[in-house]
Amino acid sequence: MRLRYYILRRLLLFIPVLIGLSIITFVISHIVPGDPVGLAAGPGSTPQQIEALRKQFGMDKPLPLQYVTYMQNILHGDFGRSLMSRHSVGGDLRAFFPNTIELVVLSMLIAVCVGIPLGVVSAVWRDKWPDQFSRVFALGSISVPSFWLAIVLQIVLSMHFGWLPVGGMYDPRAAMPARHTGFLLLDTLIDGDPHAFIVALKYMILPAFTLSLGSIAFIMRILRADVLETLNSDWVKMLRANGLPERVILFKYVLKHSLIATVSVIGFIIGYSLGGSVVIETVFSWPGIGLYAVSSALTLDFQPVMGVTLMVGLIFLVVNLLTDLTYGVLDPRIRYG
Amino acid sequence: MGMTNDENQRSAELWFNYSRARISRRTLVRSVVAIGGVGAVQALLAACGGSSKNTPVSSATSASTSASTSASTSAATTAPTTAATTSSGGATAAASPSSAAASTAPLIYNTQPNPKLPPQKLIYAGGQDAPTIDPSDRTDYSIGALTMQLYDRLFRYEGGWPQPIDPCLCVKYEASTDATEWTFNLTDQAKFHDGSPVTADAVQYSINRTLQMKKPRANSLLPIMDLNSVTVPDSHTVKIKLTQPYSELLRALDQPIMNPTVVKAHEVNGDMGAAWLVDHEAGSGPFTIKSWTVGTAYELEAVDDYWQGWPGDSHLSGFTWQIVRETTSQRIGLISKQYDVVDTLSADDVDQINAQAILNAQVNYGILTGYTKLNDQKEPTNDLNFRLFLAYAFDYQSYLKVINNYGQLLTGVIPKGIAYFDPSVGGFQTDLDKAKEYLSKTKWANGGLTIDFVYVTGLTFEQQVGEIWLAQLAKFNIKVNLVPKVWPDIVTGCKAPDSAPVMNMIFTGYTIPDQWFFYQWYSPNWDRPSGGDYNTCSFFKDDNFNKLVDQVRSTSDEDTKKKVYSQMQQIIHENVPDIPIYVQPNIVGLQNKVQGYKYFGAISVDFWRLWVDDSKENTKPSA
Repeated sequence: MRLRYYILRRLLLFIPVLIGLSIITFVISHIVPGDPVGLAAGPGSTPQQIEALRKQFGMDKPLPLQYVTYMQNILHGDFGRSLMSRHSVGGDLRAFFPNTIELVVLSMLIAVCVGIPLGVVSAVWRDKWPDQFSRVFALGSISVPSFWLAIVLQIVLSMHFGWLPVGGMYDPRAAMPARHTGFLLLDTLIDGDPHAFIVALKYMILPAFTLSLGSIAFIMRILRADVLETLNSDWVKMLRANGLPERVILFKYVLKHSLIATVSVIGFIIGYSLGGSVVIETVFSWPGIGLYAVSSALTLDFQPVMGVTLMVGLIFLVVNLLTDLTYGVLDPRIRYG
Repeated sequence: MGMTNDENQRSAELWFNYSRARISRRTLVRSVVAIGGVGAVQALLAACGGSSKNTPVSSATSASTSASTSASTSAATTAPTTAATTSSGGATAAASPSSAAASTAPLIYNTQPNPKLPPQKLIYAGGQDAPTIDPSDRTDYSIGALTMQLYDRLFRYEGGWPQPIDPCLCVKYEASTDATEWTFNLTDQAKFHDGSPVTADAVQYSINRTLQMKKPRANSLLPIMDLNSVTVPDSHTVKIKLTQPYSELLRALDQPIMNPTVVKAHEVNGDMGAAWLVDHEAGSGPFTIKSWTVGTAYELEAVDDYWQGWPGDSHLSGFTWQIVRETTSQRIGLISKQYDVVDTLSADDVDQINAQAILNAQVNYGILTGYTKLNDQKEPTNDLNFRLFLAYAFDYQSYLKVINNYGQLLTGVIPKGIAYFDPSVGGFQTDLDKAKEYLSKTKWANGGLTIDFVYVTGLTFEQQVGEIWLAQLAKFNIKVNLVPKVWPDIVTGCKAPDSAPVMNMIFTGYTIPDQWFFYQWYSPNWDRPSGGDYNTCSFFKDDNFNKLVDQVRSTSDEDTKKKVYSQMQQIIHENVPDIPIYVQPNIVGLQNKVQGYKYFGAISVDFWRLWVDDSKENTKPSA
C-alpha cells in the first residue's frame, strides 16, 4: 500500500517537473539571439514570406500566449511542426526515439555484462594483475574520445576486415523490415525473421559497443569501490567467521549490497545517453534522437528541441523512479513513504 | 536504321567541335561518313539544329522525335543549349534565348538498355538530409537531386558544366522579342507514374501552385509572374505572359511538374497537398519512391518504361540515398564497398580515394563561392580605401596552400563558369605595397584598430580564411577577432548594417547569372524596413548599379546584356563590397564500376545518367 502511494506521489510530481522543464526550455529557446523563421524561410525570401511563416507558426504572438498554446497542443498530443523541415515533431520523435532507445539499451546491456564482472574481479583481486588490467581498461575507455574510437573501429572492423558495416541501421541493398513497434530488433523478432535480426544486430554492434565503453568504466569503478568497502565490513567478516564459502559471500551478499550505487549510476547513464549519443549517431549515421536534437538546436528550431527535451525529461524521471524502486529490491531495509 | 548512342554522341561532338572551329569542314564530313553514313548525317543535322525555326529571340526548333526500340533515336531536339565559349581553365555559357544554339541532346534516349548490363541498385551516401521533396517548397542540393529524379521539368540542366538546357517535357519554345510572352510546346509522349499523360494543364497547375504557396521555390518566379500569367491554349501548349520582361526565364523555369489529380486527391484543409508531398511524389520522372525513412534513407526505384528512356548503356534499377553526415564514415564506407557513390568529401580524402584501385574521386569547380563580405555602411569598411587595402592585403596563395590547392581562386567578382563572366575585369592578388598605400589614405594609416571576422561555427575552411586575415592584418597593426557564430545568428545579424559585423564569411552561388548581382548587391534587397539577409551582408548601395540590374533582367538583347553585365562586374570590382576568395571544389567519390557521372555544377549527381558496369571495377575513368 505504501509502495503504491509512493509511486503515485512520484508520478504526480512528474507534472510540476515537466512544466518547469518546459518553461525553462521554452524561454531559453526564445531568448537566444537569432531569427529561426528567417532561416527557415530560405535564402532570398521576401519579408512577406518570412512574416507569413512567422504567423503560420504562431510566432508573431506574445511569448506567454505562445507557451500556453504550445502546452494546450501538447495536451492534445500535438508536439507541433519543425520550422525547418515542416515535419510533425510527434512523427519525428516516433521515428527517432525508438532507434536511440534500442541503441542505449543494447549499449547498457554490454556495459552491465562487462562492467559488473570487471568491477567484481578488480575488487576481489585488488592490486593484482586483473585489477591493474581492469583499471587500465577503465581509464582508457573513459579517456579515449568516442568519435576517435568510433572511426578506429570503423577502419579496423569495417574497412580492413569487413566484419561489420560502417554505419546505418540496416543493409541499404536489402528491403527494410516492416516496422511494427519502431524498435528494429524487436520488429524482426515479431516477424520471425532471424536473418533480418542478425543483419540489424550487426549494424548495431559497433555503435552500441562504442557507446558502452564509457559506461563500462563508470560501472566498473563504482562497483569496485563498493565491493571493496563491503568486503571489509564487519558483517562480511562475521559471515566468513561463520564459515560461509567465499563464493556465496561474494555473489549472494556482497554483490547485492554493493549494487545500490551502481544501479544509481546505470539510471543516470541511461538518461544521459538518450540525449548525449549525438557523436556516436553522427559517426555511425544512426538516425537517433541525439542527432535530431543537436541539428534542431543549431538552427534554433524550437519545436523539436522542446519535444526532445520533454521526452528525455520524462524518460529520465521514469528511469529515476525505476532506479529508486530497484533499491528496495536490492536492500529490503529501504522503506518507501 | 537507327544509330547507336555512341554514334549519336560522336556526331554531336563533331558538330560541337566544328562549330567552334576546332576541326575543319573536311574532317567533319570525313568523320561523319566514317561513323555511320546517312544515319550519322541525320544525327548531325539534328545536332546542328537543322530544322530550327528561329524567332527573333529564341532559337526554338521543331521536334522530330521517335522512340526507337533499338538503341537511341536520331531525333532532332528543339530545346536550346548554351552558347559556350571556352576560356582558359573554364567555359563561359550564355543561356539567354537570343544566344542559344540548338541542343545536341535528343528527346528520347535508350529505351532498351544493353542486355549485358542488367540494371543494378546503387547506394549513395549523401552528406545531407532532404527534409522535404515538395516541388513548390524550396530546393537545396539534396532536395534538388531527389526531386529531379521523381519529377520531369520543361528542360534538363544536368548535361554538363556550364549547364546546357536540354529538352525534357518541352520540345519547342518561342519568345517574343521583349522576352515577355513565351510559348512552350510539350511532348505528347510523357506520362505520369499513374499512366496519365503530362499535359499543359499540369504545367499550369504546378507553376500556379508554387506561386500560390509563396515559398522559397517561388522566389525567382514571383517578381515576374502572377496567377494569370500561365494560360493553356491546348493540351500540349503552354503560354506564359510575364508581368515584366525576363530573359533568363528558361533557367528560372526549373519547376518540377506535378500530377494535379494525384496532388488534389491528397489535399487536406486546402493545403494543396503540402503535407502529403513532403515525403510522397506525384511526378513523371525516371524514378519513383520505394521507401522513405525520414532522416535515415530514401529508396527510389526506376520506372522501367520511363518515357524519355535512359542516356547510358544501361540504367540503375534504383538507388538508396543513405544519409551519412560524417565524411570519414563516407570515405570508409566507399573503400569498404558499402557505398557506391559519396558526396561532399573533403580535399584530404581525394588522394586516399584515388589510391584505391576500385575507386576514383571527381573534383570539379562550380558555383559555390566564398566571399569575405565587408559592411559598406560601417567603419572602417565604409571607406573604399580601407576595402581596397583589405583586398590587396589578403594572402590568396597561402589560403590555397592551406586547403591543399583544392580551391579555385576567383579571377573576377563571379566564378568564370558563370554566363557573362568578363575576364577583362580581373580580380585581386596579394600586394602588400598597394595595401599599405591604400591604408595610408584612410584615418587608420597606422592601424591600431580591432575588427571582428564572423564565420559559421565548426566550418574549418571559413575559420582558415579568418586565420589568414588575422596573420595578414597583424602586419598592419590591426587586430582581428575570430568570432564563430551559428548560422541563424549570422542570418539575423545581416538584417541591417548596424547589427552586421564588419567582416563576414559567406558562401553563396547561383546558376542564373543575374541572380549573382540581384541577390548580393542590389540595394532594394536590404535597404527596406524588413532589412536584408546573408546575401546582402555587404550592404552595398549604388543607384547606377541598381539601374543596371533592372536593365539586364529585362532586356533580351544579347549585346546589351554582355555590355551591362560587364559594367556591373566593373562596378563591383572597383567598389569592393566583398572580397572574392575562392570557388569551393565539389568532390564526389565513386566506385569505378559506376558509369555515366557528369558534373553539372551541383554537389550531387544525376542518377538518371548512371549505370553500373561490373567489368569496369578496376578501370579508372580517363581524365
